[in-house]
Amino acid sequence: MPQNADHVLDHFDLFRQPEYREMLANKKKNFENPVAEAELQRVVEWTKSWDYREKNFAREALTVNPAKACQPLGAVFAAVGFEGTVPFVHGSQGCVAYYRSHFSRHFKEPSSCVSSSMTEDAAVFGGLNNMVDGLANTYNLYKPRMISVSTTCMAEVIGDDLNAFIKTAKSKGSVPENYDVPFAHTPAFVGSHITGYDNVLKGIFEHFWGGKAGTVEKLTRVPNEKINFIGGFDPYTVGNLREIKRIFDMMGFEYTIIADNSDVWDTPTDGTFRMFDGGTTIEQMNEAVHAKATVSMQEYCTEKTLPYIANEWKHETVAFNHPISIAATDKFLMEISRLTGKPIPDQLRLERGRLVDAIADSGAHIHGKKFALYGDPDLCIGLTEFLLECGAEPTHVLSTNGGKAWAEKVEGILAASPFGQNCHVYPLRDLWHMRSLLFTEPVDFLIGNTYAKYLERDTGTPLIRIGFPIFDRHHHHRYPVWGYQGGLNVLVWILDRIFEVIDQNTIVPAHSDFSYDIIR
Amino acid sequence: MSSVSATIQNVFNEPACPKNAAKSEKERKKGCTKQLQPGGAAGGCAFDGAKIALQPITDVAHLVHGPIACEGNSWDNRGAYSSGSTLYRTGFTTDINETDVVFGGEKRLYKAIKEIIEKYNPPSVFVYQTCVPAMIGDDIDAVCKAATKKFGTPIVPVNSPGFVGPKNLGNKLAGEALLAHVIGTEEPDYTTPYDVNIIGEYNLAGEMWQVEPLLKEIGFRILSCISGDAKYHEVARAHRARATMMVCSKAMINITRKLEDLYGIPYFEGSFYGIGDMSDSIRQLAQLCIDRGAPPEFMDRAEAVIAREEKLAWDEIMSYLPRLKGKKVLLITGGVKSWSVVAALQEVGMEIVGTSVKKSTKEDKERIKELMGEDAHAFDDMSPREMYKMLRDAKADIMLSGGRSQFIALKANMPWLDINQERHHAYSGYKGMVDLVKEIDKALYNPIWNQVRTIAPWSNPADSWQAKADAEAAREAAELAADPAKAEAKRRARKICNCKTIDLGTIEDAILASTLTTVEQVVETTHAGSGCTGCRGKIGDILADLAAKAGGPVVELTPEEAEARRRSKKICNCKEVTLGTIEDVVRAERLTTVAEVTAATDAGSGCTGCCEDIEEILDAIVAPAEELTAIAAE
Repeated sequence: MPQNADHVLDHFDLFRQPEYREMLANKKKNFENPVAEAELQRVVEWTKSWDYREKNFAREALTVNPAKACQPLGAVFAAVGFEGTVPFVHGSQGCVAYYRSHFSRHFKEPSSCVSSSMTEDAAVFGGLNNMVDGLANTYNLYKPRMISVSTTCMAEVIGDDLNAFIKTAKSKGSVPENYDVPFAHTPAFVGSHITGYDNVLKGIFEHFWGGKAGTVEKLTRVPNEKINFIGGFDPYTVGNLREIKRIFDMMGFEYTIIADNSDVWDTPTDGTFRMFDGGTTIEQMNEAVHAKATVSMQEYCTEKTLPYIANEWKHETVAFNHPISIAATDKFLMEISRLTGKPIPDQLRLERGRLVDAIADSGAHIHGKKFALYGDPDLCIGLTEFLLECGAEPTHVLSTNGGKAWAEKVEGILAASPFGQNCHVYPLRDLWHMRSLLFTEPVDFLIGNTYAKYLERDTGTPLIRIGFPIFDRHHHHRYPVWGYQGGLNVLVWILDRIFEVIDQNTIVPAHSDFSYDIIR
Repeated sequence: MSSVSATIQNVFNEPACPKNAAKSEKERKKGCTKQLQPGGAAGGCAFDGAKIALQPITDVAHLVHGPIACEGNSWDNRGAYSSGSTLYRTGFTTDINETDVVFGGEKRLYKAIKEIIEKYNPPSVFVYQTCVPAMIGDDIDAVCKAATKKFGTPIVPVNSPGFVGPKNLGNKLAGEALLAHVIGTEEPDYTTPYDVNIIGEYNLAGEMWQVEPLLKEIGFRILSCISGDAKYHEVARAHRARATMMVCSKAMINITRKLEDLYGIPYFEGSFYGIGDMSDSIRQLAQLCIDRGAPPEFMDRAEAVIAREEKLAWDEIMSYLPRLKGKKVLLITGGVKSWSVVAALQEVGMEIVGTSVKKSTKEDKERIKELMGEDAHAFDDMSPREMYKMLRDAKADIMLSGGRSQFIALKANMPWLDINQERHHAYSGYKGMVDLVKEIDKALYNPIWNQVRTIAPWSNPADSWQAKADAEAAREAAELAADPAKAEAKRRARKICNCKTIDLGTIEDAILASTLTTVEQVVETTHAGSGCTGCRGKIGDILADLAAKAGGPVVELTPEEAEARRRSKKICNCKEVTLGTIEDVVRAERLTTVAEVTAATDAGSGCTGCCEDIEEILDAIVAPAEELTAIAAE
């Protein structure tokens, strides 16, 4: 056998050896009761057909390859954006391990997060003891400035009352009475990660501004000239928030970034482990109530938070849909300029001109290309607008966590552009639906997260990785996709893939390499 | 270096070029390309010209003898495609170092050739001379000769070091290298009456491949294409073709003409761009073959293919016509022949509102005029401000431009399409025209132009540079209108001759003062037009304008006055010797040679620039005198 103790082969090589190939073939033949090759191929081809697509889209109960994550994941995303804050997930510890690994795989950073480690008896008798012990341990072990409590399904199903539990824990001395423990109910069986983000953020606002669950007086708002900025659940948070700060600093006004997780997911290697880094401070949160306006970069990530701030606290609120395109970025900056009364500096005008220049320089390669894309609702809108601006056709726009209202919004955007005429929106659909779309109505490129690599493999549609999570490519989260600099990054990612495909198609020696050029 | 300068002189003598043939011996020696102006942004050098002309020969090892700069910057930088060998894409250089510069690089070159033969065994190695080895005196001809003898493989020296001149000269020197060392060195296995050469076609973006199948279908055999997708042995057999089509204007005219001189192969200049031009080229090529013995029915075959292909192309193009008809194009292009593109665009109903004529020859300009009519503007060089003005006046919807001017186009807020050598779409042949139309359509309707043409939405329109340029232009115009003297000064300050920096006023004054009537006189008097000669057309216009204004001779002179003026014309500017002085001396002392005149009057002892004029004076006086003597003797 090729595998022996003197020279152990790894999986890349081992099963490619002739002995293994033969063995696996024999196993299939003799023990797997395989169907005839022709029949296999017939079914494979059938899954690519319109007939299959219709059956696929008639699915009612089953979700196959969902393009969304759960509420608690979004809850953790929001919680780590506050200074010295440990996200505390009330529920089973297994869920929490998922969030930590998910974020670590995406950001290539440690993600600290604790759970109340509920077990079977807790499920039967309630998780109060787990809350009491958990808060005490978290407080003493990690010395956080704040513990942000959210839940998993387990706690939600048995109906644990976070407000009461936290009060009880405080009275039992788990944490000091005046210690900040904001909370939010975040069941995974409702919504998606963007809902969890929204709920936790709203919970934290309610906590600080709304009297800390009835334990102190509500704050009194004295409007000032500051602006609050909420990024939403954003896989590019590291690059984006730093870019937003650069832009706001250039414009020269006072602002507060709410849930600023750009540093905690990009800590330097310098001999110090930082469980916490950066983040919005408690003082900033208290101060933020006085802001004249609150801006959300992702409407569908703040569906509850923003109305709460508008209605309860009378902030002017403005929501965007993940602006990437020139026009969307223009609108964003002009709104900020209007809110703050600050002119848009010349530097941004130059950056805008440079992005226009870059698109014009190489836009011909994108122009006329067909794209399929999926992702969170706001990201889909941002990308759709950007593609239309480049003359591309976003033929299939799909979102598992985008609903009917979102679909109508995207349809409106498509209808307004000559390049959106044959494009369709698919709300509440999954990646198996996307597979049928790609087979029956093929496109030139696919934009999606890491999981789209299976679609790329099955359908041969070249994948451009933009979204969450990106596990198999490193460090893209360090680059902004907002601001004109962000638009430039998105442009480059798309172009890189387009040129790679041209090269791939021309690289075969003595077959196609007559067109394998060094200049593209 | 003597051989290089001899070759260059040889190249400068081009009887097939009417412009060249019309020049005096002395002017011809100066060469036919615009002199490079120190301090100006310049194009490629002669080495680059030679390299790009020959690099498309695919199975040859192209070895650049020089420091890394020359090959490092030019390695595989052209999209000239190959259907076979990819050896031409491998970068070979001797990469000489300091020691080689001190001790000479010939041995290194010889070894490099040896290693190429051992490792690649190509049918030939082309060795390109560059500035440094040329300056230290490396004799690549000798090395190539020795290597050819030793290895039994033809090693071809391409003597075109960068400093000898610009790219265009390098194209021609490359042609000379082929003529001297390659063409005619092998015989084809057989010949047919349909054997043709295509010269000046480089198969950029595979353009030749869109033409070749049609030519083959008609029955042509492309014996040799120089140099697109060429193989060494094909080039070596080019001298047995029946006819030649010259594609890229004058770049390789020397090969074409010498094939005619030496081997009697007739040629014509044609284009594969545009449907009409493509069909005409096929017809002309067929006719040349028929003239030389192919059966007349051959034309029927050609016409059948032309009819079919034209219909196919038109059917496809018609679908774009509604979107393109009436769109106005500004053409800023170098390499691809302007006039062929002009014809092509008109076929799809587009209107050309202007074209640059940079790099175009005088005939090109004439052709552009012919095709576009008198209204169209040809711009020698267009400033971004002028480009913008065209756009603002809604005169242009799109600019077709070369790889470098594309950027100017963009800054001028203009949609553009790249149609020069760095493009990646093939626009030749019938299919190419369809592709060009498709690309123009795409470029015109690309949504980014909306962004390009509008300023940042928060900006004050009055602050844009366009608005400022308008305001500035308006202010200038108003100022000039208010002050005729200033306007006149501005008019007179327009620079006519860039080489010698001579303005309009100087030329007008000279014309009026000395009643000059011909361009030559103006050149002699003012020296305008004595450099690159590019402004001589303008000088002609000035003469015509003044003559028209004056409504005839400016002043009536008495015969005595006229004679005095004639005699006062300065012949030698250096020594300030007038025509009268020279005539008097020649008559009085019966001088017959320029040397005698120079000895007697000092005329011609300075820059020697007037020696030809002195010769003419001698001819005018001596010839009648000799006649008289002859009559008297009878």
